[in-house]
Amino acid sequence: MTAVLRRSPLLLPLLGTVLVLAVATDSFLAGANIENVLVAAAIVALPGLAMTFCLAMGEFDLSIGSTVSLAGVVCCSAIIAGQPAPVAMGIALAVGAAIGLANGLVITKLGVTPFIATLATLVIVRGLSLAYSDGHDQIVSSAALKYLVGGRPLGVPMPIVLAVVATAAGWWAMNRTRFGRWVCAIGSNREAARVSGLPVDRVRIAVYVLVGVAGAGWGLLISSQLQKGNGQLGMGFELDAITVVVIGGTALLGGRASIVGTVLGAVLIETIRNGLNLLNTPPAYQRISVGLLLIAALAIKGIRRAEARTMPVPAPEAAR
Amino acid sequence: MKSSTSLGSLWDTWGITAILVLLLAVAPVLTPDFFSLDNAQSVLRESAYLGIVAAGMTFAVASGAFDLSVGGQLALCSVVSLIGFAAGGTALAIVAALATGLACGLLNASLITRLSVPPFVATLGTLFVFRGVSYILTQDGPKTLPYDQIGSPFVKIGGLNVAGVPVPFVIMVGVFAAAWLLLRRTATGRRVLAYGSSPEAARFCGISATRLRLFVFALVGVSVGIATLTYITRVWTADGSAQDGFELKVIAAVVLGGTSLKGGKATLIGTFSAVLLISVLNDMLVSEGVPSAYQRIVLGGVLIVALTIDGLRTRFAAPGSLRRAISGGRTPQPGPAR
Repeated sequence: MTAVLRRSPLLLPLLGTVLVLAVATDSFLAGANIENVLVAAAIVALPGLAMTFCLAMGEFDLSIGSTVSLAGVVCCSAIIAGQPAPVAMGIALAVGAAIGLANGLVITKLGVTPFIATLATLVIVRGLSLAYSDGHDQIVSSAALKYLVGGRPLGVPMPIVLAVVATAAGWWAMNRTRFGRWVCAIGSNREAARVSGLPVDRVRIAVYVLVGVAGAGWGLLISSQLQKGNGQLGMGFELDAITVVVIGGTALLGGRASIVGTVLGAVLIETIRNGLNLLNTPPAYQRISVGLLLIAALAIKGIRRAEARTMPVPAPEAAR
Repeated sequence: MKSSTSLGSLWDTWGITAILVLLLAVAPVLTPDFFSLDNAQSVLRESAYLGIVAAGMTFAVASGAFDLSVGGQLALCSVVSLIGFAAGGTALAIVAALATGLACGLLNASLITRLSVPPFVATLGTLFVFRGVSYILTQDGPKTLPYDQIGSPFVKIGGLNVAGVPVPFVIMVGVFAAAWLLLRRTATGRRVLAYGSSPEAARFCGISATRLRLFVFALVGVSVGIATLTYITRVWTADGSAQDGFELKVIAAVVLGGTSLKGGKATLIGTFSAVLLISVLNDMLVSEGVPSAYQRIVLGGVLIVALTIDGLRTRFAAPGSLRRAISGGRTPQPGPAR
């Protein structure tokens, strides 16, 4: 039990929150409510998983919120133009991949810091999305698009199915493949990785493409929920995606990643949001508590690291 | 500093200024009434709050950190300042803005030093917190400057001119002059740069990391407080969503100016020029009738081009010249600069 807790330190706060909410509210433990929480967590876990790879490399992608919007706008306008929904979704995912590719190329080939490069694409892609949608809602009613959020294969909500599959794939890629090892190696020491002959630039580009596609997928889910595309959607989402990963325990400077942590981080945040909703707390307090949670997660880790430093026999820390 | 005569260092300090001068040279061609008094005044007025915060942020970036919470700070300072104005008039409004900014900065610094939270996450967290508190304070609607108070001196700050120069711009120039003196002529400024280029080495030289962080983040907070005064007296209203995305604009201006995100190198002249460049470009796009969606695309493109030039230059510079540039040619630091 202690081993499980040490590997997933988020379990304890999560259980605590659930316990408090179960006592404090009548409706938290209702089946429908738990499902709501899990669906919301699944939706933010999907981009969080991709962002985990990015942070494990010691880099950020700030442009994901704009990708969410552009993907939704592209998909909805394609449906309005008469394309079948699966084709429209495919186009949207391709647009996401193209944004990721552009990020990756600007960062690796032109030597622009990821923070600034993705900040610039954040602004540019938002501009494209506003220009393309002309500021108007693109309202669609498409059963296929609705299925993304509303569908229930075998009775399980579709976002949860997608998140479980993505988590399994992400865990496997991070922990069992060469690609995952390379990502962490680049995150802990990029120069050493380059000197050892790893295809550093190609791995970095691949990760940005992955984040781009995940961002587009996020956009499709949001558009599926709202049944519309809009240039204003997804503002500030980049911080949500990064928050989930950081609370989950992935090292901010790269070199270490926790896929399970990211998923638990998503569940924890959505549980707290749901609880605050049930307790009739205004949205302002939800922001504050997410902010405090973020600081607390890192503070606990910082204190633990400081204690570890003062211990007589330092435990060998992986790759840092 | 002898080493600052090389072409690369010249570009670091004056590159963005050169681009600004070029842009100003072609501006009248593209926008005939660009240099009209009205237009010039409005560009300078509009640049002030971005510039003042960017001056403070230059210190944070030079020390190797950045403050993502400035947008939330600006919202909170504005709201608290307007509450102060309603309660006690001009003096209280000014004190409230500055004190709120200082408190925000000290809170950020304490989280970073006492709880050892990385600056990125600490200020990301406080961004949510500051905005959240602003929302709570404006639950019954946004705070506004009452129109019947138009005679009070505070309300006028944003609109006044001194000899044709907008007062917000005068304040901004004053802030930059003070910041330049602080960075280049005091031991504190040297400590900020030393800490930014190598925290380890700085610690060995007896620089207190705790005090340095406190100073830098308090400085950012106070600059937001000052900027607030030029901001709310222009827009007259404030709520929690005021200036969404402000933090990214400020950091973009600092980096565009030539201050290194890795720390240890700073140019206030560059920041100043970059702020004006952004404002001028913005103004030209607006007066050309370019839709706001396309304005974003152009601004983002400019950012990428500027940083690409910087990236290429760093990459092809002779090995060692970067290290010399960072250390100012005084104390060579072996080892990777991470």
